[in-house]
Amino acid sequence: MRNKLLFIIGWLLVTIIPISLFAQNKTVTGTVTSNNVPVQSATIGVKNSSQAVASDVNGKFTISVPDNAVLIITALGYRTQTINTAGASTLDIKLVEDVSRLDEVVVTGLATSVKRKNLANAVGVISSKELNGTAPAQTLDGALEGKISGAYINSNSGAPGGGVSVKLRGVTSIYGNTQPLYVVDGVYVDNSATSGGLNAVSLAGPGGSQSNQDNPSSRIADIRAEDIESIEILKGASAAAIYGSKASGGVIIITTKKGKQGKTNITLSQDLGFLKPIKLLGTRQFTAETAATLPGDPASLTAAFNAAQSAGHIYDYEKEIYDHTPLTRNTLLSMSGGSDKTGFYFSVAQKKDGGIVDRTGYSNTSVRLNLDHKITDNIKIGITTNYVNSSADRGIFGNDNAGVTTGIALSSTPDFAQLHPDAKGIYPDNPFAASNPLQTIALMENNESVNRFITGANLEITLQKSSHSNTKFIGRGGVDFYNLQTTVLFPSVLQFESVNKGQSIQGSTKNLSTNYILSLVNTFTPSDKLTLTSSAGVTQETGNYNNILDVASQVIAGQSNVDQAGALNVTQLRTKYLNSGIFIQEEAHIINAITLTGGLRFDRSSNNGNVSKFYLYPKAGLSWNLVDMGIIKPGLFESVKLRAAYGQANNVPAYGSKFSALGVSNITGFPGLLVNTQAGDANIKPERQTEFETGIDFSLLKGRLGFELSYYKKNIFDFLLLTTPPPSSGFAQKWVNAGDLTNHGFELGLNARPVESKNIVWNTSVNFWLNRSKVTKLIVSPVQLGSVGGVLLGTYQIEQGKSATQIIGLNGQGVGVLGDAEPTFQMNSYNEVTFFQKLSLRFLWHWKKGGQNVDVTQLQNVFGSTDVDYDKPSSIPHVPHGVAQLMKVGSDAHQTVETSTYLRLREIGLYYTINKLPVSYIKSITVGASLNNYITITKYKGYDPEVSNFGTGFSSGVDIDPYPATKSAAFHVSFNF
Amino acid sequence: MKKNIKKYSILFAAATLLFAGCKKDYGDLNNATIQDLSKNASQSELNNLVSGTESGMRNGLNFYLDDVSIIGREGYRFSGSEPRYVLDLLGANSATLSGSNFYITFPWAARYAVVKNCNILIQAANNSTLISSAQKKGYIGFARTIKAYQLLLNLNLTYTKGIRVDVANPDHLGPFLTYTNSLAAITALLDSAKSDFSGASISFPLAGFAGLDDAAGLTQFNRALAARVSVYQKNWQPALDNLNASFFSLTKNFNTGVFHVFGTGSGDQLNPVFIPQNQSGEQRVAHPTFATDIEAGDDRLGKATLRTSPAALSGLSSDRDVWIYTSSTAPVGIIRNEELILIYAEANIQLNNFVEGVKAINVIRNGHGLGNYAGAVTQPALITEMLKQRRYSLFFEGHRWIDMRRYDLLGTLPIDRTGDDVWTEFPLPVTEQ
Repeated sequence: MRNKLLFIIGWLLVTIIPISLFAQNKTVTGTVTSNNVPVQSATIGVKNSSQAVASDVNGKFTISVPDNAVLIITALGYRTQTINTAGASTLDIKLVEDVSRLDEVVVTGLATSVKRKNLANAVGVISSKELNGTAPAQTLDGALEGKISGAYINSNSGAPGGGVSVKLRGVTSIYGNTQPLYVVDGVYVDNSATSGGLNAVSLAGPGGSQSNQDNPSSRIADIRAEDIESIEILKGASAAAIYGSKASGGVIIITTKKGKQGKTNITLSQDLGFLKPIKLLGTRQFTAETAATLPGDPASLTAAFNAAQSAGHIYDYEKEIYDHTPLTRNTLLSMSGGSDKTGFYFSVAQKKDGGIVDRTGYSNTSVRLNLDHKITDNIKIGITTNYVNSSADRGIFGNDNAGVTTGIALSSTPDFAQLHPDAKGIYPDNPFAASNPLQTIALMENNESVNRFITGANLEITLQKSSHSNTKFIGRGGVDFYNLQTTVLFPSVLQFESVNKGQSIQGSTKNLSTNYILSLVNTFTPSDKLTLTSSAGVTQETGNYNNILDVASQVIAGQSNVDQAGALNVTQLRTKYLNSGIFIQEEAHIINAITLTGGLRFDRSSNNGNVSKFYLYPKAGLSWNLVDMGIIKPGLFESVKLRAAYGQANNVPAYGSKFSALGVSNITGFPGLLVNTQAGDANIKPERQTEFETGIDFSLLKGRLGFELSYYKKNIFDFLLLTTPPPSSGFAQKWVNAGDLTNHGFELGLNARPVESKNIVWNTSVNFWLNRSKVTKLIVSPVQLGSVGGVLLGTYQIEQGKSATQIIGLNGQGVGVLGDAEPTFQMNSYNEVTFFQKLSLRFLWHWKKGGQNVDVTQLQNVFGSTDVDYDKPSSIPHVPHGVAQLMKVGSDAHQTVETSTYLRLREIGLYYTINKLPVSYIKSITVGASLNNYITITKYKGYDPEVSNFGTGFSSGVDIDPYPATKSAAFHVSFNF
Repeated sequence: MKKNIKKYSILFAAATLLFAGCKKDYGDLNNATIQDLSKNASQSELNNLVSGTESGMRNGLNFYLDDVSIIGREGYRFSGSEPRYVLDLLGANSATLSGSNFYITFPWAARYAVVKNCNILIQAANNSTLISSAQKKGYIGFARTIKAYQLLLNLNLTYTKGIRVDVANPDHLGPFLTYTNSLAAITALLDSAKSDFSGASISFPLAGFAGLDDAAGLTQFNRALAARVSVYQKNWQPALDNLNASFFSLTKNFNTGVFHVFGTGSGDQLNPVFIPQNQSGEQRVAHPTFATDIEAGDDRLGKATLRTSPAALSGLSSDRDVWIYTSSTAPVGIIRNEELILIYAEANIQLNNFVEGVKAINVIRNGHGLGNYAGAVTQPALITEMLKQRRYSLFFEGHRWIDMRRYDLLGTLPIDRTGDDVWTEFPLPVTEQ
């Protein structure tokens, strides 16, 4: 197959007749500015030619052109400008900022794009500046938080190294993948989370050594935000249908920076900062009387308290463990530039962040080289390569049934417990918990280290070109390979290792994902009133995941190799898939005002029950610009657009859900096969999503004010569910396509420039969004999932006629609905104020109103009798607050189903740029300071309302003794050479 | 241009066709699947299914033995983390048995998982072209025998609520049968397995079938189970006929028979009913009447050894540990000669052959250090004696409760706390209702 492809590409290459280059006879220099601020990386292209250069950091460029050549100047975030060079050799180009973003080019297909003003969908775009230019987050996934209208994003853990759960426009699946597809420069990158096997120690999940409660990081965290030029977010099937079987959770399209023709631009930037916990919960201060009420013998407890008090050995262990201020640093060196044929972008970056808990932290080293080359005027090739090495030490946090995670151990450890090591470094056992958290932190290891290589190629061949028609072959593809090593070590001296005598768990994961798209795109312009863009092509995606986990126990003291152990248990998990698709798409752009889009994608997947069946996913879109049409007179309104789009996408079943497997067993040395508890469904179908979206966009006051209002309705059919069949079938669980659910919601966006004076410019954007969901059909009885303690503490329940994310629990009279994870609404506001063209203040507010979490963290402290409010009076006379809370457990779960409203100043940064420098080799210096997540206004009782300790699946918002979330402050300096 | 477009269209169509040929089904890379084995299984795959079946029979065994022994007042299970052993199972206060609790759902599901495995084995053997017809008969006979035994264990728990016998198609499960019809179906399964074994060749290894691992031995094992079912059905003459075709002997060792065996190898299981003596926390102790009701000199008192300190929980106490399973790899009986001798006694007493009945009872008594039976030679007296011998010979092997139920004597079992109940049967698991 591969050879045949090469043959086809080769054949295409030889059929191209190179078109001779234009004669060049004039050199034009110029400066690109906007409001007197130089615009960097603007593209200065020559009309009817593929020639282009880029402006440097001071906005300057030089280009050699024929006389009378027309230049087209484009830059991300600015209106496109056209200038005739006749009779000019120096140009002063003043760009107008595109506040309403009408000129932004947005993808509409696998190989086509369109200007936003003709777009039928509300596609979110995050620029490099918004992503990373204010107060950089630790990892890319964290940098998305609060920036996507229509998204609900939660951190799985505050531990260094990222890991977030992203839901675009509501829940799109229950047991299937709910996370969006990430595409970096055409390469589908893997974002799976691999557990390091901590469950073997924490016993948080049932059976086995792996669980979604291990809070592993997600692999999208490996990508460096600094390399990113822009991110486009396709939020649902109406925009993403062309991505087919992986698109039901939406698609996040990441474009990295590319080199452009012009002087080589070198940037060296250095960040230095620190982290702090956002919040500590505080701990209960014991007295001799309250100490005696703890479990155990009252007399010896009192004695222990008195001894500790008289020796001055009363400790706030929460503070001691979490209240640290570790340093963070990040260095980036990037170079970009190019000649008329070749452009390059090269970057090398290193980051090292400490963690607020000792012996935790994150480091990431990344090298990227992006090359673009024009073989002839008709053949362009682009290659992107990225090598990443990252390492995260994440500690042990979260849910646990063995009393070993830091939070759970702390929750029952009073302030008079003596946990510090003696002079020989030997830690005492913690009499109040199964583990001594100081000892665990000092001696354990939980590391994830990744070596990853992502490379993509992009080939564009102009097959045919005439005044009315232009046909291109576009081939894109890439490889994403990583090797993930997880190392978990719990030496035998730990308090809780008395039975297992030391555990060493080593996991090795290899993942190879590949994908390619081959397409033909024809643009046909029969008249200036009609443009037809036709594209068709084939796609293929493969994945090959192989995880081997060695769980060794009875590890010899001082050793960590898994063979240095008395017992070894090995598990291996492999998954492999091949998805293939065929697509055709037609876009018609009529009288510059109406854009019609229609597309079909046929998809099949090796994960489906029927591997040869093609599922059809259609899409269609219409945008109608009333101003360009002449229905509304230009004037107050610059543009008024009505739009509607419809599309379908799917979510393939999980690998293996079509099989009924037999597990391996052994009886006196005879290997046996015994049927597993999970039954597959040989006819399993993909979950199918349809989305209808409609909206109105308008911009007025010459683009100083832009509105975007969208309404969408998403239906998910045949969602996958693990159900409980009658056990006499021999199975305890069975995969079924169990029902339908629907999401609908609004998104309202506003872009404005309220202030535009000589010395102050203020740009602002405000977004408002909300989503509601409902299970419309369920063929099985209601299913509870994602719970820590079922209805006792609050649990999700999938039930016909109810919100998909409802939380039910005991309500005092019985079982009832106590909440819903879905926020009432969310809002954000990004602002940039520029003073005197040099000083820039940027900040981002994020407000989430409503929505409940299952917060067990605080109640866990009550269970452990260490809650800070334990002794406060309650509404019941003579009953302390903690006891009153305990009295409610078993009859009322309201106290753990908690509203997680918050208002957060997510990012704020102040930057100053110095352009005029005494030395000529430095073009500019930018200095800045920033704060990330610094101000949070919330009544939430846990560490952070933005939490999801049960991983990236359906059940977000479970809060159970996580690694506390952090805020950061940093100083930035960057030099341009 | 038209020409070009044509050329590209052809090219594109060719690429699409090429591509369309590229579909894959990777199968399950992690496990063998039912689908794979159903096609044309090799002898070694069929042997794996046999061993898996044997291995699976051990799953949840502790729940079954605890259920039957606790309700039959043979002993208590004290557990700090699981109060339902002393609440639900003994009917403390208003506690009742629930169809959603572990004591019925776990053992029930474990038995049906083995039934499923047996059905897969039957299907795989039938579809295999790689084995001889004699070998095929061996696999099918084994699968049917084990299936019958597993169904019988679940029927023992749910009694008049019955069991599903036809469970071959998980999407269309057969109905629940009455107790009588369930027993008849089990008998029919055992009988068809018996005819499978005639002319069968056994080409698979077995664990715990010492001396009974060939076609003749498996037939004897099958008939031993059939004899047990016969006495449940009160078919006394067929019980004797089945005994004659089994490994029953008045002179052979009581422990001749078939056992669940355990090992420490990777993936093997340890005896789930083993708890060390004098343990605190998790305890399995004998009912106090075990020691008070026993005849002096009976060596079976050693089945419940004296603790260094009595165990107590929730108003119950005992000073003796259950000590039948004396190590983590001690075997657990499936059926053994001692039970067959007692079945021989029972059937003969019921058929008024008191001489043979007393003879068998004396074999048991003498074997445990007691003199010959000296009581009245009447049917009621002999039945009482037979039940007493069954109580001590088969202690904690899962019989007492069923024996008392068979003879309608549940009301005579001791009540330890006011308000406790002796249950007749378990409710069906909720997911079956």
